[in-house]
Amino acid sequence: MSKESTYSRRAFLKASGAFVMLASIPYSLKAMYVDVDKLTVVPKQALSITVSINKKSYSVPADTRTTLLDLLREELHLTGAKKGCDHGQCGACTVHVDGERVLSCLTLSAMIQGKEVTTIEGLADGEKLHPMQQAFIECDGFQCGYCTPGQIMSAVACVKEGHTGSVAEIKEFMSGNLCRCGAYNGIVQSIQKVANA
Amino acid sequence: MEFLNTIDKKVKEGRVEGVDKVTGKGKFAAEYTVENVCYAVLVGANIPAGKITSFNLDQAKQVSGVLDILTHLHRPEVPGFATEELIKSSRFGLPIFHTDQVYFKGQPIALVIADTLEDATYSASLVEVQYAATPFRVDFDAARETVGLTEAGKERGAMAAWANAPHTVEEEYNIKSQVHNPMEMHATIAQWTANDRLVLHDKNQGVNNVQNVFANLLKIPKENIEVFSEFVGGGFGSGLRVWPHALAAILGAKQVNRPVKLMLTRPQMFAGTGYRPASWQKIKIGADASGKFQGIFHQAKNATSLYENFNDGITRVTRLIYDFENLKAEAAIVPLNLSAPTWMRGPGDCTGDFAIESAIDELSYKLGIDPVELRLKNLAIATNPETKLPWSTNFLNECVMQGAERINWSERKSQPGQLVDGDWSTGYGMAVGAWNAGRGNASAAIKMERDGTITVQTAMTDIGTGTGTGMVNIAHDTTGIPKEKIKIELGHSSLPPAPSQGGSNGLSSVSGAVVAVSLALKLKLAEFAASQNEIYKTAKEEEILLSENGLSFQKNNQHFISYADIWSKNGLTMVEVEASSGPGTERQKYSFCSSAAHFCKLKVNTKTGKVKLERMICIADGGKIVNDQAAANQMSGAAVGGIGMTLMEEQQIDTRLGGLIADDLAGYHFAVNADAPIIEVGFIGKPDPNINPTGAKGLGEVGIIGTAPAIANAIYNAIGKRFRDLPITPDKILLG
Repeated sequence: MSKESTYSRRAFLKASGAFVMLASIPYSLKAMYVDVDKLTVVPKQALSITVSINKKSYSVPADTRTTLLDLLREELHLTGAKKGCDHGQCGACTVHVDGERVLSCLTLSAMIQGKEVTTIEGLADGEKLHPMQQAFIECDGFQCGYCTPGQIMSAVACVKEGHTGSVAEIKEFMSGNLCRCGAYNGIVQSIQKVANA
Repeated sequence: MEFLNTIDKKVKEGRVEGVDKVTGKGKFAAEYTVENVCYAVLVGANIPAGKITSFNLDQAKQVSGVLDILTHLHRPEVPGFATEELIKSSRFGLPIFHTDQVYFKGQPIALVIADTLEDATYSASLVEVQYAATPFRVDFDAARETVGLTEAGKERGAMAAWANAPHTVEEEYNIKSQVHNPMEMHATIAQWTANDRLVLHDKNQGVNNVQNVFANLLKIPKENIEVFSEFVGGGFGSGLRVWPHALAAILGAKQVNRPVKLMLTRPQMFAGTGYRPASWQKIKIGADASGKFQGIFHQAKNATSLYENFNDGITRVTRLIYDFENLKAEAAIVPLNLSAPTWMRGPGDCTGDFAIESAIDELSYKLGIDPVELRLKNLAIATNPETKLPWSTNFLNECVMQGAERINWSERKSQPGQLVDGDWSTGYGMAVGAWNAGRGNASAAIKMERDGTITVQTAMTDIGTGTGTGMVNIAHDTTGIPKEKIKIELGHSSLPPAPSQGGSNGLSSVSGAVVAVSLALKLKLAEFAASQNEIYKTAKEEEILLSENGLSFQKNNQHFISYADIWSKNGLTMVEVEASSGPGTERQKYSFCSSAAHFCKLKVNTKTGKVKLERMICIADGGKIVNDQAAANQMSGAAVGGIGMTLMEEQQIDTRLGGLIADDLAGYHFAVNADAPIIEVGFIGKPDPNINPTGAKGLGEVGIIGTAPAIANAIYNAIGKRFRDLPITPDKILLG
């Protein structure tokens, strides 16, 4: 936080202090003071969101500032989507919204009203793993596993989008999903395996 | 103790925890559901040096849902920070909330706790702080001039002995600071379950270390601190220390009397959980006409913080790899107004190896000797040059030969700039690296059920290295019990103690414990079986064979007794054994190292400065490979890390305002999928008979160490430009 903020309460108090010394506080000034407070400290607003997540319908009150990622992780305890940067720079939070890969950290909850969200928790068919999940296990497409749900959600979309023509193409279309363990060998192999199945 | 993620999936292929990781079920630190949890967000100092004079929290407190705001003026007392002496002896580094001093920009100085993450984040943005700023220094290149060097390690021979060496290289090397950036940001959920009882869900590389640190700081018994770290989203060294934010969460939980969850933001990771410090090195190397090294003078300086000293041990690798008479090494640390650096994958050795392996490559051109031949001529294959002890095993020469063959080294041109195709020039490069192979004391337990299922337990974490899977393999090999019946529990402080997972010591340490406890299980079962068959009374470990259903003597099904029988006859519910294992006198007889050779083929675009890696080959001597697939993954991943270190990673510092520039993943680049070729990995695979019962030496570090010099040497071979500073970005290639 900067030391001096143009709209800070402190600055306002200093200015208003001069008035206070001159006369007792007029009501209008008091009212203005309250208004300024309202202006600088924004009150919380919630809205009710109805959304389908992994084919289950949810109706949840959400803070207007809440991202889809935080809604999933903190409110619904669906922690499969990971927070790796919260800025859309790493891909760990990738989920599908209406069938397309989306960065849930850059998606406000308010934007998913009425949509169909699929997270890593909804990818398997009951106990039967999705072929991409199975491929990631067989090809060892991970180490620590933190970026893995995002990698898999992107990988499923990558195959669906048809970007699996070559190793170079897979690498290009999977480069929005960072893996600091560097398990890229296995990630590429997993996608090849599913694409060629 | 309840395990949310007990790893018992019966997957024949892949890792034991594979299903948990690909389905999102595995719980990382911040993902546990804790009743009544609230959220904490740290506020960082906005100046690089000075004193906090006052806080204005009025606005911040007006945000709905804010429970409290901790500062050095308002927080629970940390007994371990009561005096300056205690702070120093705690070796914790930054005495968070117990000082008004600001040592670096971003230093955590307040903690906002609120009902929701959104409330806490918003409130944190409204905290106002007044400072009395003082002068600062953050420019490593300027500051290092002012710090003198002192001797590092044992000097051998004499500088004068090679003063007239016929061939020498004398150059300086500079490497910018790099940041671990594991994909999981550091996080802690702190919960006080009584006045002196603490439960932590924490991201770290060693739960026992976390216990010890907080027992010391909070002056409560270590047993009262329970640490869960079952799934750890990468570490690379950042989890070997306990950082201030974890203590902040603990203090916050105390203050508001509720469980507190604190996950660092990505920008906070850059100034809160260590980094590989910026470094300067100077190498002078001399050789005779045959290429035999006569002497090396290695000088190194690395950055550190003002509140904590950190020496990266940069010259160590020079003392380890080659056999030569005369060595002198000097080092220094340069305190700056930055957060404290720490070990980062291949600590010290990565840095030192870039310099020494670049210098040797340069020397090879001066000598007119092939770099592969020059390595083979000088490698210290028999003896550790510093300790004079024989290496227990060292197959670095074989790594070099295999790598050369695999990349078709004979196609490399001995002079640079010979393989040109339009704007692209192709080059080949190689380098070697080595790492002292360590081993610590570790314990493990086995719990066996009536149906023959065993659970192998250790406190050691698995940060992605495949420790759990390795343990299954070792327990299977030692006992004979099928892998499907072996479960693993790890990463919890109440389990048998083990060292932190770091420095390539993890598997080396825990493997001994798993072998020991597997043998203990055999003897324990034989002891019970002896009441039914006397032959088991004197049976030796190697004579006792375990199978899915029972035990046999000497060969399968001979004197067979089923587990069910033993359980019934002895009225058992569970058989439990525990054992410890650690290094012994072998360490007085031998030196131990893991090693690797890196080879790469790349193209440089002379118009754009782009470097395109075509092949990267890494051949390692890690002793016995306990799990081929995970080990290869470990090596290739380390090489990917090395590609980032060489070509892009740089923590830029704002020397004018004293802060970090671009402290996020858009500003700080490490290798993405498209930056790396498919990495080719090979292992020598010969067990080390002395290091531990399995013969595995550890691989975490050697996969990265030689990567940077191999790439830099290939760039020289491609275009004839020598880069001695990292990272080698396109602008440098075009201007160089």
